[in-house]
Amino acid sequence: MAKAVNNKESAKITPKDIALRLKVMAEGITKQIDSHIDPVFTTQQRGRSNVEFDDKKKVLTLGDKMTSRNFLNIGHAKKFMQTMMVTSKAHDYLSQNKTASIREIYYELKHTLGKSKENTFEDQTESDSCIVDLEHSVDTIREKLNLHANPKGTLYGDITIVDRKHNSDEFNASKLGRGGWSIMSRIEPEEIEIKKTNADYILVIETEAMYERLVEEGFAKKNKAILISTGGQAARGTRRLIHRIHTEKKLPVYMFTDGDPYGWYIYSVVKQGSMALAAHSDFLAVPDAKYIGMTLEDVEDFGLHNVTEKMKEGDVKRAKEMLDYPWFQNKEWQAELKKAIQLKIRIEQQALANKSLSFVADEYLPKKIKKKDFLP
Amino acid sequence: MSNGTIEVASAEEIAKEFKEHSVAEFFKKNMQMLGLTGKIKALTTIVHEYVTNSLDACEEAKILPDIEVQIKELGNEYYEVTVKDNGPGLTKETVGKALGQLLAGTKFHRMMQMRGQQGIGAAGCTMLSQITTGKASQVVTGTGKGNPLSMEITIDPKKNQAKITNMVELKKEFRGTIIKAKFKGMKYVNSEQAPLEYLRRTAIANPHAQITLIEPSNKKIVFKRTLKDIPKQPLEIKPHPKGINVDELNTLAKYTSARQVSSFLKSEFDRMGDKAVTEIQKNVSFDLRKDPRQLTWEECEEVVKQFRKINFIAPRTDGLRPIGEERIRKSLTGIVQPEFLSVVTRRASVYSGGFPFQVEVGIAYGGNAGKGNNTVNDDGTIERKMEIMRFANRAPLLFDTGGCAITKAVQSIDWKRYGMKDFENAPITIFANLISVHIPYTSAGKQAISDETEIMEELRLALMDSGRRAAQYIAGKRKEQDKKMKKELFFKFIPEIAKALEEITKKNRKTIEKNLEHLVLEKLKLEDDEEEAEKISQEIKETSADTDKKAKKKALSEDEELNEEVIEEGEE
Repeated sequence: MAKAVNNKESAKITPKDIALRLKVMAEGITKQIDSHIDPVFTTQQRGRSNVEFDDKKKVLTLGDKMTSRNFLNIGHAKKFMQTMMVTSKAHDYLSQNKTASIREIYYELKHTLGKSKENTFEDQTESDSCIVDLEHSVDTIREKLNLHANPKGTLYGDITIVDRKHNSDEFNASKLGRGGWSIMSRIEPEEIEIKKTNADYILVIETEAMYERLVEEGFAKKNKAILISTGGQAARGTRRLIHRIHTEKKLPVYMFTDGDPYGWYIYSVVKQGSMALAAHSDFLAVPDAKYIGMTLEDVEDFGLHNVTEKMKEGDVKRAKEMLDYPWFQNKEWQAELKKAIQLKIRIEQQALANKSLSFVADEYLPKKIKKKDFLP
Repeated sequence: MSNGTIEVASAEEIAKEFKEHSVAEFFKKNMQMLGLTGKIKALTTIVHEYVTNSLDACEEAKILPDIEVQIKELGNEYYEVTVKDNGPGLTKETVGKALGQLLAGTKFHRMMQMRGQQGIGAAGCTMLSQITTGKASQVVTGTGKGNPLSMEITIDPKKNQAKITNMVELKKEFRGTIIKAKFKGMKYVNSEQAPLEYLRRTAIANPHAQITLIEPSNKKIVFKRTLKDIPKQPLEIKPHPKGINVDELNTLAKYTSARQVSSFLKSEFDRMGDKAVTEIQKNVSFDLRKDPRQLTWEECEEVVKQFRKINFIAPRTDGLRPIGEERIRKSLTGIVQPEFLSVVTRRASVYSGGFPFQVEVGIAYGGNAGKGNNTVNDDGTIERKMEIMRFANRAPLLFDTGGCAITKAVQSIDWKRYGMKDFENAPITIFANLISVHIPYTSAGKQAISDETEIMEELRLALMDSGRRAAQYIAGKRKEQDKKMKKELFFKFIPEIAKALEEITKKNRKTIEKNLEHLVLEKLKLEDDEEEAEKISQEIKETSADTDKKAKKKALSEDEELNEEVIEEGEE
């Protein structure tokens, strides 16, 4: 199976192509059944054991290990059925040119099995995992299966976007009011076109509150920045949009999160990709992204000692694990992590308000960006 | 016996007092020893005495028994018990002895396998009725020849004699006996120790009998006859010298018709030949030509001492009449309706050197096996627990469960090894019947068998043997259930898969379904075949190990045959 295709190729693949791939797969299985052969569904193995860090590309990638689900295996039979149901539904969406959220497909397929008390799907994680299997099996992304996750994340700043699926509306994300544009979960080029931007960089912000602060302070305009809030862990659509603006408009990406393991992890997912979606890192990851803060150096430099928080035991443990992550194998991050582990403190973005409300917009960010005071 | 007087009575006074107390008086004061106390137990014992008499009488007369028991509630703890049979009936001469004289039964001192061995008998019931209500027992009995008799019977406790009143001849034809007696201080309940359960078990052990119970509520329960052939009559055998004590020898010597001790020994005892008599003569202080009626207690002691020393051939066992595997199978099938049944009748054996006995065991699993409690499962079935049905010479034993050799033997087995993990809570009925010319009861209440080494061993062997067969069935059943579960699991998913594939490929859903079902069935069949193959290779291994055992066994049985030949010689 070919490794995930690049953006340009991706744009060429039509829903018809994907529907055909699904049909070929289903026909293969039907043929096996007709020939009295135990039908088997093959996909890429997921999880830690098949995820590796690509040192050249600096992203997480999915390895070559394959896994198969046989109907006649007691442990696989239900999963086999679920995968067939998801395949059929996705095929149906593609043929009818409809899209659905992964929660909707879950509810569409959920019902009791015959006279039993058992459900086709007990919870959404079961159908979600079938969707990922299917993506891998027919070498595509879920958006191409006309499926999408729940959207999350906001965009603000001087960037013009065209929504091709909605009257080809064209709008500038700095003219949509303070709320900005709600990032959709489907950000593929055939639906969303990134037309032009005058910004110099993308600032990705962990918390909505900090994003609102920066909008209110007029930060985007003053600093020619595009603001993207992830609202915690970045959703797939948000990651796709960051990736696209970064690659299509050649803008650097700066990450601004809390200085704690959760914040660092948000950073590493945007930068290197995630374990769960390792197969799609080429579409989603931004290996060039840089980390602005918060850092423990900021605590020193800006005198924030009195507003640090104590790290919980779980956080310390997470931090220790991160010491071993391949993409944190550089002296800057090692020093940062070790310091955090030693002091057992964390620092939030909003702690900067201790200085003044506008401190983050007027001093902290401009200063750090000017000095290129980043962690790699 | 004197109501706790502190005065020290002289020996003569005691002897005098003892004479005045007839057997009946003794009985009256010692009811608990005879199993007649306890409100539920007493009622069951009464039913037992009457029914046992009927069964034994029918068997002796070669009649298929038809017995009807009716229990009526007359007042608080006040009942009337009526037992009607189709037996040979009693004559004017025998009726008083059978129902009005304690310990007068024909069974006393007979070396024969009988149900009511050592019985307090029906006369005990007559006594009990009269003690508790002051009323006479009513009897109607006919032999089929001449008019039946109707009468009332009481016992004179001082003389231990029947008092028959109101005897009339009835102008109708009737063969059989009807006894109607009233009792106070009893209670009819529906428990494991109650008459209903007693009769159910009696019916199981006596498949040739038809037994009906009419309960106080007027509910009629019929245990139908499952077999129409009358069991062979047990043979009366002579006592074996090893099973005799001084008192018994003394008694037998008083009643013999032999003129010399030597001929008395040869005629009254099993396995007693000239060689043994010569051996005894050498070692006793008196001449064996002596009149046996003149034997003193001390001389009897000498003889019994010799009995213990001499190596006699084991007693004959051909007097025993087991119910038989086939009969037990039929009756348990009819009454317990189990899913699986395994029955083992062991070969006869001997305990304490002198008493022949034989053990029969059945294990019933599933169906109505086990005792039901009141818990109803989700699927509407009644939750069941393991039950042990104990029998001695076909008579059910309902009391003193814990002290009985049968219970002990069952508990001594590690049932987990036989695939019965939660044995106590499994739907299992264990049937065990001990037959012997002399059942070693633990007490005069006759409700528990004492755990003689040889009896325990035979019980255990029989239980393990039928346990092994049950284990195979249970394992097979479990496998069958597994297979069914697997099939259902796969089949549950098939319609959705077929629907999904049809939607994409437009191929016919029914065809896909059929092919998938075929695949599942083939897979399960393959698994079966693999197991079968494994089993066969296992069996081959076991058989080769078995061949050695069988060779040894054969050598042994040849030895036994030789022994039997020796026996024949000994008899001549």
